[in-house]
Amino acid sequence: MQSANMLLRRIVRSSVLPFAAQHGMKKDLLLLSRTLSLSLCLKQDKSCEPAEKLDLDEWKKVMKSGLQEEVIETASEPKELSSLAAARETLEMWRLAGRAVPENISEEQLKTFMECPSKSAKKKYLKYLHLRELHKKNDKRKMDEKRERRLEAQDQASETDETKNSSFICLWSHTMNKAYNWRAAQSMIFGQPLVFDMSYEKEMSFREVSNTVRQIVMSESSNRRSVDPFHIHFCNFKDDSLYHREFIKNYREAWDKLLITVTDQCYTEIFPKDKLIYLTADSPKVMKTFEHDKIYIVGSLVDKSIKTGVSLARAKRLGLETAALPLEKYLLWSTGAKNLTLDQMMHILLTLKDTADWKKALEFVPKRKYCGFVNKPVKELKKTLDLINTLKLGKGREKVEKQFAKNYPKK
Amino acid sequence: VQPPEKPLQAEEWNKLREDFQSPEIFEEVMLNNMIRCNSPVDVAKSLLTQLAKRNGDIAYNVLVKYLTLCVRQGQVSEILDVYDIMKARFKILESGAYNLLIRGLSNSNQWRMALTVLEEVKKMMIPSRTSYESCIKAASRHQEMKLAFELYNEMLAKDVVPTLDVLQSFFDFSRGMKGAELQKELFGILLYLRENQIYPHKTFMRSIKLWFESLPGGNWRGHLTKIKDSGQCPVCNHQLEDSNLTEEEYSNLSERIIKDVIHGTDTFRKTTPEELEAFQTFVENRLPFDIVIDGLNVSHIKSRRMQCENLFDAVNSLAKENARLLVLGRKHMLMNSSNWKTEIMKEMQNKADFFFAENISEDDAFLLYATLRSGKHCRFVTRDFLRDHKACLSDTLTRHLFRKWQRGHQIVLKKKLFLCFSQQPAFRYDCVVQTTGDTWHIPYKDVFEEKYSYQVPRKWLCIHQK
Repeated sequence: MQSANMLLRRIVRSSVLPFAAQHGMKKDLLLLSRTLSLSLCLKQDKSCEPAEKLDLDEWKKVMKSGLQEEVIETASEPKELSSLAAARETLEMWRLAGRAVPENISEEQLKTFMECPSKSAKKKYLKYLHLRELHKKNDKRKMDEKRERRLEAQDQASETDETKNSSFICLWSHTMNKAYNWRAAQSMIFGQPLVFDMSYEKEMSFREVSNTVRQIVMSESSNRRSVDPFHIHFCNFKDDSLYHREFIKNYREAWDKLLITVTDQCYTEIFPKDKLIYLTADSPKVMKTFEHDKIYIVGSLVDKSIKTGVSLARAKRLGLETAALPLEKYLLWSTGAKNLTLDQMMHILLTLKDTADWKKALEFVPKRKYCGFVNKPVKELKKTLDLINTLKLGKGREKVEKQFAKNYPKK
Repeated sequence: VQPPEKPLQAEEWNKLREDFQSPEIFEEVMLNNMIRCNSPVDVAKSLLTQLAKRNGDIAYNVLVKYLTLCVRQGQVSEILDVYDIMKARFKILESGAYNLLIRGLSNSNQWRMALTVLEEVKKMMIPSRTSYESCIKAASRHQEMKLAFELYNEMLAKDVVPTLDVLQSFFDFSRGMKGAELQKELFGILLYLRENQIYPHKTFMRSIKLWFESLPGGNWRGHLTKIKDSGQCPVCNHQLEDSNLTEEEYSNLSERIIKDVIHGTDTFRKTTPEELEAFQTFVENRLPFDIVIDGLNVSHIKSRRMQCENLFDAVNSLAKENARLLVLGRKHMLMNSSNWKTEIMKEMQNKADFFFAENISEDDAFLLYATLRSGKHCRFVTRDFLRDHKACLSDTLTRHLFRKWQRGHQIVLKKKLFLCFSQQPAFRYDCVVQTTGDTWHIPYKDVFEEKYSYQVPRKWLCIHQK
């Protein structure tokens, strides 16, 4: 109905049909406009050829007639736009053209957008903002739905008015937190240290740093929840660095109450060198067992571009022992880089610490990156893989083989 | 959905629309299909009319789709109408619509309109290369070469890379035209090809040839030929430019290799400072070498044989002419294993100098350093294309220098059935567009597609004055 009204308004406005409009012929709009195209002869003759009846350029009239008023509306605006406003205008046009562009964009984001060095960088940034906006919208929608459902449930509960009788004590989250914090406090005295090396800020872009901090926040929380937490150290941590600012963004006032050690010292100054092991995927040495008297170092680095050997270089410079996870030994690797996210590393290390079971620990490697666990010698696996691929009509077989050869080079 | 063949009535469109699974995007999908099937414009018009009647407005993306259809079919008056509507309805347009408008208008007799649209685009952003291409082509089609070159130079100044098509069109449209200024500009294009190491394809080459031959009073003659290995042109007996770098280029390149490739952001990433120093003193004490061999790469040439045997063969075949050899390897080669026998390694060390790097160091960087340090005559042996090292270099100019040097100094060992190793000779002449004033030599590709970046074309166009 709304659109019909609008159409009517436009037609009235366009004064193509003053007569009909005056007489309030609101019904049968389509019929109305068709007869209109018969150049007002008001002939209701249906035997006419349809092609004659159609005025193909009528849409132009509609477009132009709708315009006149809008032009008047906008005429008072200043003609010359500032560069920011112009950029906003361009974005609006891109959005109309159906590109991945966010609906709302803040001044700051707009400035970042304008500072992007190339067209593709601009496109990427906009796509990122667009997706983030979509996610936020979806989350909000889900929250609203959830709230509604909860309210409904409450209504129902109040109607039935059951008295709850439970023999369990209800543990609220702050009680749980207290228990966790107690454990974390204990770990700060007796726990095994785990070091996050915060010296990679220069190697990363802003987005990479914020991703890093997100991952560390997640690792910290899973550490806190574990049975026997690590004593987490943030080493080489500079106050007022990008890391620091991002942490405060994530933790807010909880940042000062975290049960971890934050220091600007290097790990080599705090711990004896021979106890330190730097974990890096580039390391030539493969970790065999988890050692409880060693101090493992994880580089706080998200590497979206190709920067091989950055953390290995750091360990080499300090003369530290290095180790990589035995991913190839236990997993039949398929795709993806062998560097894992920091929270995955934390899960793996925590599991190793508790159980010393590699299989259980490596469950935390993303499933898309491997085909399965290695339970037979690699040679036999290769045979079965070959068989499977020949059965699958041999398509893509070479590719798989190449991948295999790359992951398991002949020693 | 199949677009209809004739314009439909509003009711008929409505019916189609209701039958469609998601009516909100019906118009878009339908127009997309019309573009794909190249339906008559009238059909699209009838759809737009129905849409306008229903909503009283037509969305921007639908207009752009209609514009695409009009441009495809060269409906100039329609394009102009849509442009008017868009201009009145929106303050500015986005690049997609501008590109379409420019393309559509430049192919018509309204081509000057395209230029005004281009001016409008410039106020907001850098126009795309295709927009420039359309305008330049339109200008040169109408013999306005000066205007075309103005646009071309403006494009270069804005770092927009011209397509080969544009460059070719300059030669096509100035065929037979007089004017020293014009000639200078076209020579400028050839020099642009030279500086950026671009090789024209066959049809482009033909345009160049025809243009030269059409020059009034120039007496230019073009011949297709292949250059001898010695670097002499068989047609005009002219000796092509040497592949060696100049002193300045050479020292520049070796400096950059050490700075960008070996040190990079962190010396520890590829080696350690101690190792680098040890290597440098090792090289300085034994300079100069004639051939530097990438031991590990060469040892993998035949997978059936022992790795040290492969290396042994390579060293033997290269050691013949009393050349001073340096073999780069890693420490693990010294450990007696199934692939590396200590006796054979010992024997080899009598014939060549060896340097063993740490197992986690990168030996390629050392290979480059040792070769460059030994001087211009020194060559190196590896099958590696060295792309990752080229990528470490920070600017394109140095990368070109690196490629040129690599072409002149890399020996590639190929396995053959009987002959154990054969050498692919390094090029003695430089593979770029070159001139001496009264001759031009232009390498060209047979096909349009890009070749591998390490390959150079073997076919040449020789142009000389009679």
